[in-house]
Amino acid sequence: MKVLVIVGVAAVALGTAACGGKSSGGNSDGGKKTVKVGLAYDIGGRGDKSFNDAAAAGLERVKKDLNLDVKELEANKDETDNDKLSRLKLLCTSGYNPVIAVGFAYAGDKDTGPIASAAKACPNTKFAIIDDASVKAPNLANLTFAEEQGSFLVGAAAALKSKTGKVGFIGGCQVDLIKKFEAGYVAGAKAVKADIQVEPNYLSTVADKCSGFNDPAKGQTAAEGMFDQGADVVYQAAGGSGTGVFKAAKAKGKLAIGVDSDQYETSAPELKDVILTSMLKRVDNAVFQFVKDEGEGKFTAGETVFDLKADGVGYSTSGGKLDDIKSKLDEYKQQIIDGKITVPSKPANG
Amino acid sequence: MTADAVLTPTPGASAPAPTRGRRFSLPVLLLAIAGALVALAAVRTLTGANDLTSNGAVRAALQSAIPIGLAGLGGLWAERAGVVNIGLEGQLIFGTWFGAWAGYHWGPWVGVLAAIAGGALGGLLHALATVTFGVDHIVSGVAITILAGGVARYLSQLAFKGLPGGGVTQSPPVPELPRWSVPGVSSLDGLERKHWFLLSDLAGILRGALTEVSALTVIAALLVPLTFWVLWRTPFGLRLRSCGENPKAAESLGVNVYRYKYYGVVISGALAGLGGAFLSMVASTIYREGQTGGRGYIGLAAMIFGNWRPGGLASGALLFGYTDALQLRGGSKSVHALLLFLALLLLAVGVWQLVRRRLAVGAIAVVVALLVGVWYATTDSIPGEFVQAAPHITTLVVLALASQRLRMPAADGQRYRRGG
Repeated sequence: MKVLVIVGVAAVALGTAACGGKSSGGNSDGGKKTVKVGLAYDIGGRGDKSFNDAAAAGLERVKKDLNLDVKELEANKDETDNDKLSRLKLLCTSGYNPVIAVGFAYAGDKDTGPIASAAKACPNTKFAIIDDASVKAPNLANLTFAEEQGSFLVGAAAALKSKTGKVGFIGGCQVDLIKKFEAGYVAGAKAVKADIQVEPNYLSTVADKCSGFNDPAKGQTAAEGMFDQGADVVYQAAGGSGTGVFKAAKAKGKLAIGVDSDQYETSAPELKDVILTSMLKRVDNAVFQFVKDEGEGKFTAGETVFDLKADGVGYSTSGGKLDDIKSKLDEYKQQIIDGKITVPSKPANG
Repeated sequence: MTADAVLTPTPGASAPAPTRGRRFSLPVLLLAIAGALVALAAVRTLTGANDLTSNGAVRAALQSAIPIGLAGLGGLWAERAGVVNIGLEGQLIFGTWFGAWAGYHWGPWVGVLAAIAGGALGGLLHALATVTFGVDHIVSGVAITILAGGVARYLSQLAFKGLPGGGVTQSPPVPELPRWSVPGVSSLDGLERKHWFLLSDLAGILRGALTEVSALTVIAALLVPLTFWVLWRTPFGLRLRSCGENPKAAESLGVNVYRYKYYGVVISGALAGLGGAFLSMVASTIYREGQTGGRGYIGLAAMIFGNWRPGGLASGALLFGYTDALQLRGGSKSVHALLLFLALLLLAVGVWQLVRRRLAVGAIAVVVALLVGVWYATTDSIPGEFVQAAPHITTLVVLALASQRLRMPAADGQRYRRGG
């Protein structure tokens, strides 16, 4: 009977590996064939309309502008650290260099996690991990973002647009990374209106495997609760649960703020008019910049923070809902870049 | 068929429903519900946690409870036929995927049918493995859950990639099922806003339960009494339950045990598939990988909580859905207020037991009530982790305290071989 399970697991693993891996054929004989870029996605993969798609966009630019060969591999839900490690190893042992791991899920333990082990196993390959700064290796670049700075700006936008003096924040999972979004958002809202009420809520914890990133029903329930209690703008950093937040805003005639990529562009047409703005996390810029620098021999190990200054974070203006307050937001932006405002990266209550 | 199996039937097999009508007569049940309602209203008035009985909270509670309840009903059908179906989670996944896929192409009602078919297919697979081939029920169930995740990913790759808004992990937006409101109920709005004791609570509950109700919610609610009627009031149901109690005796009386187990498990999968359709077409309007989030297992917990009975299972699902909804709606205040409600409830149980001279149980309940009361008084909120674990903790507590009274089908989970 055990055999059945093992065979089942193997079949599933093989099946998804076979269809997940797709090699983009490269542009025939462009002279730079020697450099092959490997990219391993986080759970969600291409088509998540958010984080992974932003990485994919960066990779597309790499392919087009730098004329390099690229390979993308997708992750599975519920996979183990070993699956992640073998995906990274597969890329580096088949000659892909640099290799980019998208998402903190690849970090794991800082000494024995997937990215640390892969970096050790392929010492001549240059690795990059996005959204993690805990793992250090001489051939590993940590690409992180100043999400709190981007969140500060959308927080300010929320406060400027709120009529009730109450705004909400919904995080997909209670982890430090998402708390950064909350901290910046709260600071931004308070910078505009010191007495504004900001209601934070998280859909899941690490204990239930951060399922809150994939549960639109929960996102909707949480957002409805906030709107019912008087909030009129809700910012979501909840991945795939975000559509639920937009739906709730639509049903209640309120506003919501998107995250990672410009969600006005990617949402269903009937939900577009509730999206005030989106906090942009330019994973595409980071991926492109990293590959470009690496190609020019400018690899730097350790953490590189993509902040407002480096155009690593920002806010979107599509939909035109911010037209009247854009100048104010740009003022805040300049103040952050000049260092006049320091945005906290941890919420006040931990 | 060996002789001793017939001579020594498992306890309870001769009286399939020994507890019916004895423990809770209808007036007692109604009285208990009314009492709980008054207590809840009192807690709300005392703590000012107005979300406890707001229409939004009630609607959200129903919304959370229905997938859990449908999965639980699925578990009930399978286990009453003697097959443990831990693959409910996988059948939910099939339901979410097929519902979204067919719903996107041919409209929501076709989606519902496809979800039922998809779930039933998962059930059929489980029946094939456990009934025909005699595979261990747990092993097969776990395999189906793992398989469902992989199959859904593979099918998404084929069916959703390239569609507007679709991808390997999610479907394009799916059209919604119709929602109905009972006319006149929404005018209770004013009354609810006044926050009067009991009256406003009733208004909130009625508004939440009777306005903007999805068609699938109505169907799901009707399935609970229907399940009871079919399983406990028809010859079909008696035969099916006999397969879960004592399949050898059933066979000796001419019941085709294999066939009835198939019926039970396939219906089980179909119900879970319907729960999946609810998730991807009512609770949200999109299929998303991983959106079932363990609801199949919580459904099983609800079934055990409900002592393998439809009514108990429905209350379990409502209870879990309610705490989940309160927590999600940002109600650290309301969940905290629930502690006071729990303390009151325990106190009432304790006093009642003391009056009935069951001193030990009564004393324990009173002490626990006091402890919970102290917990309430000394804290401002409950950790979110605790609330998320609440269904599992509740089930454990129920299992621990009421294990004497819980009675699963006697031959549940056992491998059955014809003529063996």
